[in-house]
Parts: sequence; structure tokens; C-alpha cells
Amino acid sequence: MSGLVLAQFLGLSAALLGIGLFGILTRRNFILLLIAIEVAINAAVLNFVYFAGFASGPGGVSGQAAAVVVVGLAATEVAVGLAIVLALNRQRGSINVAEASTLRQ
Amino acid sequence: MSLEELAFLVLAAIAVGTALAALLVRELVHTILWISVFFVALSGIYFLLQADFLGILQLGVYAGAVTILLLFGVMVTRKRIFSREAATGIGPFPLALALVSIVILSGVAAGLPTQPRTVHAYSPAALSEQLFTTDGGWLVLLGLTMLSALAGAIYLVREGRE
Amino acid sequence: MDAVSWTWFLPEAFLLGAALVVFLLDAVGVRKIEAVGAVSVGAVLLALLAVISDLGFDPLGFLSTLPASVIDSGGGSTSLYAFSSLGLVFQGIFLLSALLVALASLSRPSDEAGASVFYGLLLMATLGMMLVAIAADLIFLLIAIEVTGIATYLMVGYTRKDARGLEAAMKFYIIGALSTALSFFGASLLFGAYGSTNFLVLSQGLGGVTESTLALVGYAFLIVGLAFKVTLVPFHAWAVDVYDGAPTDVSAFLAGGTKKMGVFAFFLVFIGPLSILTARAVSCSGSVCVAPYDFRPSVQLTLGVLAILTMTVGNLLALLQKEMKRMLAYSSVSQAGYMMIGIAIGTAPALAGATLQVFAHVFMKAGAFLVVAGVSALGVGPLIAQYRGLGQKRPYLGVAFALLLLSLAGIPLTLGFVSKFVLFSAAVQASTVPGQSFFFWLAVAGLLNSAVSVFYYARVLKVMYMEPPDPAVPLDGPAGDPTAGLGFGRTAAIILAVVAIVGLGIYPQPVLSAIQSAATHFVATGA
Repeated sequence: MSGLVLAQFLGLSAALLGIGLFGILTRRNFILLLIAIEVAINAAVLNFVYFAGFASGPGGVSGQAAAVVVVGLAATEVAVGLAIVLALNRQRGSINVAEASTLRQ
Repeated sequence: MSLEELAFLVLAAIAVGTALAALLVRELVHTILWISVFFVALSGIYFLLQADFLGILQLGVYAGAVTILLLFGVMVTRKRIFSREAATGIGPFPLALALVSIVILSGVAAGLPTQPRTVHAYSPAALSEQLFTTDGGWLVLLGLTMLSALAGAIYLVREGRE
Repeated sequence: MDAVSWTWFLPEAFLLGAALVVFLLDAVGVRKIEAVGAVSVGAVLLALLAVISDLGFDPLGFLSTLPASVIDSGGGSTSLYAFSSLGLVFQGIFLLSALLVALASLSRPSDEAGASVFYGLLLMATLGMMLVAIAADLIFLLIAIEVTGIATYLMVGYTRKDARGLEAAMKFYIIGALSTALSFFGASLLFGAYGSTNFLVLSQGLGGVTESTLALVGYAFLIVGLAFKVTLVPFHAWAVDVYDGAPTDVSAFLAGGTKKMGVFAFFLVFIGPLSILTARAVSCSGSVCVAPYDFRPSVQLTLGVLAILTMTVGNLLALLQKEMKRMLAYSSVSQAGYMMIGIAIGTAPALAGATLQVFAHVFMKAGAFLVVAGVSALGVGPLIAQYRGLGQKRPYLGVAFALLLLSLAGIPLTLGFVSKFVLFSAAVQASTVPGQSFFFWLAVAGLLNSAVSVFYYARVLKVMYMEPPDPAVPLDGPAGDPTAGLGFGRTAAIILAVVAIVGLGIYPQPVLSAIQSAATHFVATGA
């Protein structure tokens, strides 16, 4: 027999979201923060794709469309984040969020 | 257990393992390597879900473009990458909330149907029909984000003349 | 529904067209702040006139391109946008904040780098906010928020040479991306529960208990994601650092403008067409359907507690600040708490009060930040203590700043008083319904907090008027010219804000009645 189990997918996406949040809250290196954010957003993309696959009617295709759009949005965000990193890097030669900070906590 | 389910479990284990590894290893270049494997594993899951277009998109955009972009970022900003990690400024409450919601999510997952099902496959034609007619507004808005990202990012990184 | 015409989007088209012109001018080398600023102010003004005439005020008939039959008719089950009158009111509010900032920024040094990027991004951010106000689809809403988000991250860092601005941009970016990830995760769960992201489909209830739980968790993630945008306590910590580190004109736009976008999204999630209160499982046997659990009371209680927490934490921390921008930032956090009171109650009068509070806040907060930006260009600040003698040396500027602060504190004859009066009286009125006496305490907490806030605003007034000027700071320009050192644009923006606050504080009727009727329509479309 063949087939996939819906519950396992939600388990995977919950785990990925958890890893992403863990990274955002504990890592201080900006590149690692970008990666953690990407992991969290990928959890959302995964949700859209499998909910579209398991949908009962043909309306589920809009879930795949949403996944396409979110992938594009996440790529845009990475580009903007890197632009900020590069500008800051030129300023002071470190991209560590906590260390580089002259803002008060 | 079906063959597909087995394939999913293997890919899921790879995805979770590589995502964790990417965030935990000490060398940033290794991080990029792990995260590229993570993107490829997710793409495999999309193929398993019969979402071929998404699988290819994931390979092209994430495993290809985003990985290269991140690698580029690591190479350009190599100075003083490692230093002591400090408080985030986000605070413990959102962290607790995140943990609680993950636990709740797992509970919800336990309540979902556990019998295997075959998934819907949508043809790329149906997907593009949806993407360019009914949900066309999403793409227009995506274009707007890219316009401001383009203009602003170029300005931030180009050498000023002042 | 009428056939869709592009002219329905005339205000948005003005903004996009102007943004493209500004970016193209930048590409061909025209970067003078006067040129790009004039294009931007003109486009925002045209868009504002178009929105106002769509609302029925009709100052310029030919700009009213939205058929009256479209407004408040709701969207279809596949449409991405719908025009509600409250959405149009918010479009006006967003455009006013953009107008104030665009006007004031005209006064920056004309050889300053990045003027065209600043104005282009300002227009794009405003465009994103306009789109949020017409969203009828969750993905559309979230991408529109992201249009504004991307533009504002870059605006905070646009000075490029200023490390503080770039660090603030980085912090803002991380929090923004986190909020985006959480919101989209919530949206994906809602898609899983309902099979659609359209507001109309989302408001029609659910079949089973499993989907209902999925939907609730989805809403929770969505709300947490949006709470970062509204700077709701405990998701507020980033705001103060960002408002403090950003160029002050950008802070004015963030506090006065983009935060209101999150407030409108909260209106959608809690009161209007996307209301969480409809997301309950409907169990049917035969033709009889019952909703097993109504969680409106618990949602209202949670929101009420968060509102009180936000007001109190914001006000108490504002009391402790020594720097002007940080004090204004914390006061902005506390103002979000007042708006949350209206959302917690959810009746039409309360919603009108919250909207009026948002409207007033644009002028008060953006105006105050614009004064701070102008004064710091004269060499005063960043500490509150350095404002000493400002009221004696620059009487006009001092009076303007004093009026803005008094309005923030809610002193009678200002717009800030009117909005708080409408909001708190709606709370008291709602508390007379049996089982809702809790709302009375919301009004009491709001009043107590207003009293606390008077302390730190009065402290600024005392420094400005009671302490002798610092001889080292040459505050007074040549020969008593009231605009000296401020420039024409900033003076015009400050005058606009002060006139609006005092004028509408004395005679609020035209704005109040428009907001009240819009709020009534909006509540009717929800649960």
C-alpha cells in the first residue's frame, strides 16, 4: 500500500519552526540569524505544500500558489538582510548583533 | 509502513538533523553546507508530495540562489565572526510562548488523521492558472516588495560619493 | 459587484507612480531633495484627496473613482481585496502620516545623500499600508505588511554612514522577519483548517473539532506575529531601540504611521471580517447546528489584560527615561495599550474610539518626533535636560511642542482628550451589559495611566519653561525668525499637526461622525 500520513508532516513543520525560533532567540551572529529565519519560514512553506496535497477539493492549489509566493518573499528578505550586513560590515568590521551594538539594552 | 512513508521519515530526519547542525556548528562555512543539505531534503519532501514545481523551485531558489548568497555573505564578512553570545533583547516571555505553542502544535498533530492517504497532484498548468489569475494580486505585491528591496539594497551597498 | 477597474486603485497608483519616478530620477542622477520631495509630497497629497473624496467629503469630485456600491459590500469568496469605509479611513490616516514626514523631510540639507531613496521607500511603505487597509485575503494582507516591512527596514538604515542607524535597521529587520515567519506559519495552519485564506471563507465556521484546534493555533501564531508590529507588551522591547536608533524623521513615520498598520490588522483579526471569534467548531446533527464553546469572553479578558499591561509598562518605563526619543518611544508603546482597549471591547463605539485614538496619535506622535528632529538639528538633545529654556528662546516652537505633549497627555481642548473621552465612555457604556463589568476597570486603568503620563510630559514642559537656557546652545536664529533653523517644510508639517490637534480638539464632529459610521459598518461585517 502507498500513501502519506498528515500528522507526521505537522510534526516535522512544528520541529522546524521550533529549531528556527531557537536559532533566532539564541544565536547572535547575523548570518546564523538569517539562516534560522529561513528555517522558520520553510516550516510555513512546508505547511502550505502538504495542506495543499492533502486538501479534499481542487481549491487546494491556492496553497501551492501561496508557497511559491512565500519562497519569493523569503528570498527577497535574505537579500535585504545581506545588504544591511554588508553596509554594517563596512562601518565596523563585525556583524555580531550584541557585540556591535551601541544601542542600549 | 509504506515505502513513501519510509522515504518521508528518512527525509524528515535529515531535514531536522541538518537544520540543527547548521545552527550549532562553530564554523560558518560548515553551516552553509548543512543548510544546503536541509534545503535539498525539503525539496525531496516536496517531490514526495507530488508538488514537482515546488520541489524544483526549492532547489533553484533555496539550494541554489539563497545558499550562494549566504556563502557570499560569509566570505565578505569574515572578520571577527566568533565572539561571546549575549542576551537577545527579545526576552524570555516570547521564548516560553514559543515552547508552549510547539507543545500545543504537537498535540494538534496527534489529533490529525494517521491513516496513510494518497496526496493530490496539481499540474503546473493549474498552479500557474491560479497564480496568474485568481491569486494574481499576491504576485503583484511580491513585485512591490522586490522593487523596494532592489532600490534600497543597491543604495545601501553601493559606494557613496559624498 | 461592478467589473473591476484600475481606477479603483487611483490612490495606490499615485504612490506607485511617484515611487517609480523618484527611483528613475535617482538613476539618471537627479537626487536633489527639493525635486524628489516635491514629487512625493504631491503624490501623497493627490492620493489623500482621492481617499477623502471616496469617503464622501468630495473636495475634488473627479478624484472620487470608487463607486459607492463597492464600498462596504464585502468581498467574494475568492477576492483578494474589498473596500470597507473603515479601511478608507485608515488609508487617510496612513497618508496623513506620510504627508507629515514627507513635508518635514524637505527641510533636510539639500546635498544630503540618499534623499531619493528615502522618499522612494517612504512612498513604497505607504503603498504597502494602503494595501493592508483593503486586504480581504490573509496572504494578501501579510504580503502587504511585508511591502511596508522591507521598505521600512531599509529606511531605518538609509543614512548608511551612521552605525547607530544601521544597527537599529538590523534589529528591526530581525524582529520583522521573525514576525513575518510567525504570521505566515499561522496563515498556513489556517489554510490547513479552512482550505482557503479568504476572509469570507474563514468567517464561515468549521466542520470538526480537529480543524477547530488547528485554526485556533493558527490564529495564535498570527496574533503573536502581528503583536510585534503593534508593539504590544511583551513584544515591545525592540521598538524603543529602533525608534531611538533610527533617523528621527523615520522614527516619526514608524511610530506615527506603520504601527497603525498593525492596529488595523488587529481590527481585522479581532473585530472585522477575519474575526477569530467565528473560528469555533460547529457540530451538526441533522439540520441542528450548535457551537460547542464560545470563547469570546476569554479572548476579551486576555486582550483587556494585555491592554492594561501595555499601557502600564509603557508609561512606567517612559517615566524613567532621560532621553527625549526614548521617552517618546515608550509613550508610543503605552498608546498602543489605549488602542487595545477598543479592540478588547469590540463594540462600534469602542472601535470608533480606538480609531480616533489612532488618528490623533498620527498628529501627536509624528508631530512630536518631527519637532525633536528639528530641534536636534539646532544642536539640542538628546537628553530631556538639554531642552531647558527652549520655551523662552523659541516661543513658537515651544508652544507647538507643548501643545503636542499636552494632547498626548489627554488635556481637554486637544484631540488627544476627545479620543480618550470617546474610548473610555465606550468602555463604561459597554460595562453596563450584564457579565461585562470588567470593561469598567479597563476605563479606570486607562484614566489612571493618563494621569501617570501627565507626569512625564509635564516634566518636559517644566524643563522647557522653568529652567534657564543653556548659553552654549545658540537656539535663537537671526532676528526672531520663528522658522530659523527649521526650514519651510518642517515648519509646515509642525503647523499642520498642531492645527489639526487643536482644531479637531475643539470641533471634532466631521472626523468623529465619519469614523463612527465606518466603525458601525465594520463591526457589522464581523462576528
